Amino acid sequence: MVMKRFLGVMVLMMLLFGCSAENSATEKKEGVVVATTGHIADVIKEIGGDHLTVSALMGPGVDPHLYKATQSDLSKLENAEVIFYNGLQLEGQMLDIFDQMSKDKTVLAVGDRLDKAKLLDSEDEGLLHDPHIWFNIDLWKQVVDAVTKTLVAEYPAFKDDFKANEKTYLEKLDELQAYAKKRISEVPDKQRILVTAHDAFNYFGESQGFEVRGLQGLSTEAEYGVKDVQEMVDFLVDNKIKAIFVESSVSDKAMKAVIEGAKQKGHEVAIGGELFSDAMGAEGTEEGTYVGMYQHNIDTIVDALK
Amino acid sequence: MIELWVIITGLLVGITCGMAGVFLILRKMSMIADAISHTVLFGIVMAFIITQTLNGFWMLLGAAVAGILTAYLVQLLHSSGIQQDAAIGVVFTTLFAAGVLLITLFASHVHLDVEHILMGEIAFVPWDKWTFFAITMPKAVWILLLVLLINIGFLLLFFKEMKLATFDSLYAASIGVPILFLHYGFMTSISFTTVAAFDSVGAILVVAMLIGPAATANLISKSIKQMFLFSMLYGGAAAIIGYYLAKFWDTSIAGMMATAVGLLFIMTLCAQKFMDYKRKALVSKLEGV
Repeated sequence: MVMKRFLGVMVLMMLLFGCSAENSATEKKEGVVVATTGHIADVIKEIGGDHLTVSALMGPGVDPHLYKATQSDLSKLENAEVIFYNGLQLEGQMLDIFDQMSKDKTVLAVGDRLDKAKLLDSEDEGLLHDPHIWFNIDLWKQVVDAVTKTLVAEYPAFKDDFKANEKTYLEKLDELQAYAKKRISEVPDKQRILVTAHDAFNYFGESQGFEVRGLQGLSTEAEYGVKDVQEMVDFLVDNKIKAIFVESSVSDKAMKAVIEGAKQKGHEVAIGGELFSDAMGAEGTEEGTYVGMYQHNIDTIVDALK
Repeated sequence: MIELWVIITGLLVGITCGMAGVFLILRKMSMIADAISHTVLFGIVMAFIITQTLNGFWMLLGAAVAGILTAYLVQLLHSSGIQQDAAIGVVFTTLFAAGVLLITLFASHVHLDVEHILMGEIAFVPWDKWTFFAITMPKAVWILLLVLLINIGFLLLFFKEMKLATFDSLYAASIGVPILFLHYGFMTSISFTTVAAFDSVGAILVVAMLIGPAATANLISKSIKQMFLFSMLYGGAAAIIGYYLAKFWDTSIAGMMATAVGLLFIMTLCAQKFMDYKRKALVSKLEGV
């Protein structure tokens, strides 16, 4: 009796969900490459052109700290011939498996190929580096170089195309740096202070000449305290800061508390807009590419602070 | 092969947790797994403060100690007269808060969170392999098999005593069953199971599998042996159904397995209510004649 009931439930479940998804035949190009973040995937797309099928594990708007694998990530990782990841502890939970996979295929942590002297420490913990390297365009050019070298070694047949694409892309990055410099010159020196929700913008600040303040630490589990909010409010009032910024992948509740606090002290602070910090915009839009994302951030910051 | 390893891991979690969950449900301690999923934060922070590294072994050890500490503190409060659920609530919030406080004081600039450091992801299981005795299997499968064996061993050794201690502890004590020893032994095996499974497949799946299958089995079982059987069957079935749901919609595998646990529970509950209704209708009809 009981057994029959159990079996009945099982059969019902099977009928409801038994139909499994059809495997969509993906267009086969010459190489299959997977990157963890959208930033790196964008570089590979620029360098690889039509020769590579590129996919990113972390989609638009996904905070790498909170990334959860989906079922299709299984086959993405299994079918990939080359895997690129950021490194510097950004993909904490995946490091072990990348280590294991490097026995069978090419796996590169782009962060490991960078000039160590240019990396920023994660403040007082000397062992670990700040992983948000994409905000320093010079470092990002080193990433492009490392990606190209690895791709050339893996697919020597396309060497010339990869090299040509790299040259074009590096020029684009130089243009981006020039654009950033020009826009930032619109902001008076004293106003070059960037206040954001969490500590993602240290590379940005260092390379573009901004002082950076984050309310929350690197870890998402360290909550901001009342004292942090108080100090931030005083900082805003003392420096007469016009605007602070929210991030696409972090809740803006804390920033609203800070604005409220400054208002009570008679200082109006605006929300300057939303910056892309750990993720990029939706695929197909301007902000879905590295260059577009960076330009969006520069424009948002300059327009709010000038 | 990749998919098969994921399904096998899910099955092992379902069966192991399904088994471990039965006595938890019967002893009204099912929330202990959820409590442990929070208190491990305290454990890994302490491990970091002591060793100053994020080395996986120390983190796991810290988490295991925190799990056992949770279970012992709950028992301590409970035996001093506080209700079981209140004891769990007090212990887990206090230890969790202590963990957050310690991070803010001593480790605010290290990327120290439970999700990152301790919790595994079932989708990545196939690539993290260990080789023992010339057999290469995913690390998670090795660990879960070991945990399953330990759980089976504990049950085989102490089944009768556990049953007595659970249903009539006064009587059990009067005939000389070492209730305290059994309880602490059982809680140690539960913390061990939970932390090892966290490391392999993450928190959501473990908490769901520890509570759901046993609760579902409790609805339809007539004896404790039956309950064990059904709980393991439900756990295994939820793993398989969940995997294919995740494939169908391309979503998180662990998330869908946990959802399947809930679906099975609701369907079983409905089926049982329906049977009850029909039986009552039949009885009243017969009485009418």
